[in-house]
Amino acid sequence: MTAQPLAIPSRSHYLTAQKERGRKVLGVFPAQYPREILWAHDIAPMEIWDPPLEPGSAPAHLQPYICAVVRQGLELVLRGGAARLDGLLVPHTCDSLQNLASLLNDYLELPVPVLFFYHPKEPFRDSARAYYRRQLTILDQKLAARFGPRREGALEQAVAWGQRVAELAGRTYDLRARGQLSAPALEFYRVLRAGEFLHPEDHIPLLEEFLAVHQGPAPAGPVVLLSGVLPNPKELLSLLDQQGARVGHDDFLGLSRRLLFPASQAADPFDALCEQYFALPPCSTRGSALSQRLDWLKGLAQASGARGVIFYVVKFCEPELFDVPPLMAGLKEQGLATMSLEVELNQGVSGQIATRVEAFLEMLS
Amino acid sequence: MPFYAGIDVGSLSSDAVIIDQEGRMLGSAITETGAHSTQAAEKALDLALAQAGLSRGDLAFSVATGYGRVSVPMAQKTITEISCHGLGAHAIFPNTRTVIDIGGQDSKAISLDERGKVVDFVMNDKCAAGTGRFLEVMAGKLGLTLDDLGRLSLAAAGEVSISSVCTVFAESEVVSLVARNHPREQIVRGLHRAIVNRVAAMVGGLGVKEAVTMSGGVAKNAGVVALMAERLGINIQVPPEPQIVGALGAALLARRQAG
Repeated sequence: MTAQPLAIPSRSHYLTAQKERGRKVLGVFPAQYPREILWAHDIAPMEIWDPPLEPGSAPAHLQPYICAVVRQGLELVLRGGAARLDGLLVPHTCDSLQNLASLLNDYLELPVPVLFFYHPKEPFRDSARAYYRRQLTILDQKLAARFGPRREGALEQAVAWGQRVAELAGRTYDLRARGQLSAPALEFYRVLRAGEFLHPEDHIPLLEEFLAVHQGPAPAGPVVLLSGVLPNPKELLSLLDQQGARVGHDDFLGLSRRLLFPASQAADPFDALCEQYFALPPCSTRGSALSQRLDWLKGLAQASGARGVIFYVVKFCEPELFDVPPLMAGLKEQGLATMSLEVELNQGVSGQIATRVEAFLEMLS
Repeated sequence: MPFYAGIDVGSLSSDAVIIDQEGRMLGSAITETGAHSTQAAEKALDLALAQAGLSRGDLAFSVATGYGRVSVPMAQKTITEISCHGLGAHAIFPNTRTVIDIGGQDSKAISLDERGKVVDFVMNDKCAAGTGRFLEVMAGKLGLTLDDLGRLSLAAAGEVSISSVCTVFAESEVVSLVARNHPREQIVRGLHRAIVNRVAAMVGGLGVKEAVTMSGGVAKNAGVVALMAERLGINIQVPPEPQIVGALGAALLARRQAG
């Protein structure tokens, strides 16, 4: 019997609940940022990846080739979505998000502050590590200046939370890779993605419950890897579930590329955050070399028994789209089947895309 | 003796094939899909069964394919047209290693192994540019039927350039060319060239392995086939009835499923 979906509050209700309990809430754009520093300041990050909005005003501010993540995030802000927040944080993930940061900060006269977070791109030399540590402390100071100092021991506690989330996420990924997680892909990503807005005090028990409910044999169908920005449109996940396929692993920017890291043993919390950042899987938005990404994907395929890789790319995502053709070629050389789907967010799956996915799975069967 | 059916519900036509245990084709039918996929599938199946002298009760297993495959309640299983065209083309020409299928609403290039199993494929999934629907609209604009296109294209002494395969933009170009009294056969050949260039680019991305077989309704158009062969620099095989290749593959897969 299929387990019932776990109860997860809506983002809107959760935001209200966080405010009622006295927490500040920051809207955070993708992708990499030190959540632990926000938690340490008793701030709940509410990540803005793919709000289900039809762009109305945002296109007037953006070039037509800007991706839907930026377009829909801006649309949310223009429709007053920032009014319930205490600020916005924009990491320097790509040029489009950097432009969005400028728009939000310089032109839109928002009622809330807009903060930036810069992280170094590869190659990572010693100077990159020093730079990253400095950015962590700058963000910490900015938050203290804006919202008051954090309490003693709060950062250590937050780092421990982050490590617990990573450990639990790592276990779910590991079980899934070994075919020992019965959860459908749709439920897997619903629970993992809840971490985009749940405080770790709520996300940790959810992940624990998920593991308790879903340990068990996975479907015996073809195994695929998913790579891309985020698993949207979710109808594609439903399609994989309906076809009896198993997602063996993923390489999503919004998920494994920032969730899976070994816990640092460093006593200083800033040192721990630094170590963990530089131990993250390779990523296009951090400028990782293609060879690193290719080896990483090959390793994931080997570990999970996947024979095919589906690149699930948000239209116009420049960092990803530059990497996809050579990655596909490299994987094909290793005997792995590949397919690239360019998708729009929240727009379902067309008949042609469904046919391509089904045919890909038939090919792997 | 068990019999098997393959039903291919495409955007323009719905086709059915009946085979026996030995894989011999006993009946086939091609009907217009129109606005009701299920009714079109039933009509095609019943016509094919009638040709074979059978009834639905004689069928041991049926497979539906094509974009309307989910609307065929009498089929026990659905399989994509990519797998079905691959196997169907291989059954007709066992030397097939690449299938080019230009259907009513999309086009595909399929790479096969020596058993007819799909090893790779590409498919346009953006719009109907460079498909049978494109030709249908252009034929209408030129006051021609689809059957006229191939003959006229082959007879053309030259061709005009059509810069777009977007159905809307190309229609506008055709209107301008007609207004300037360009010969229809040259316009038709230009339209064919535009489709071939688009599909050939897609096939090139997959890598052409001979022998190449064309399937789908557009393979009936000798003008497109000739230009495709010229563009790719290879010989192209065309089945006697290219429109039923998907249904044949579905019937063969039905036999395999039942076994």
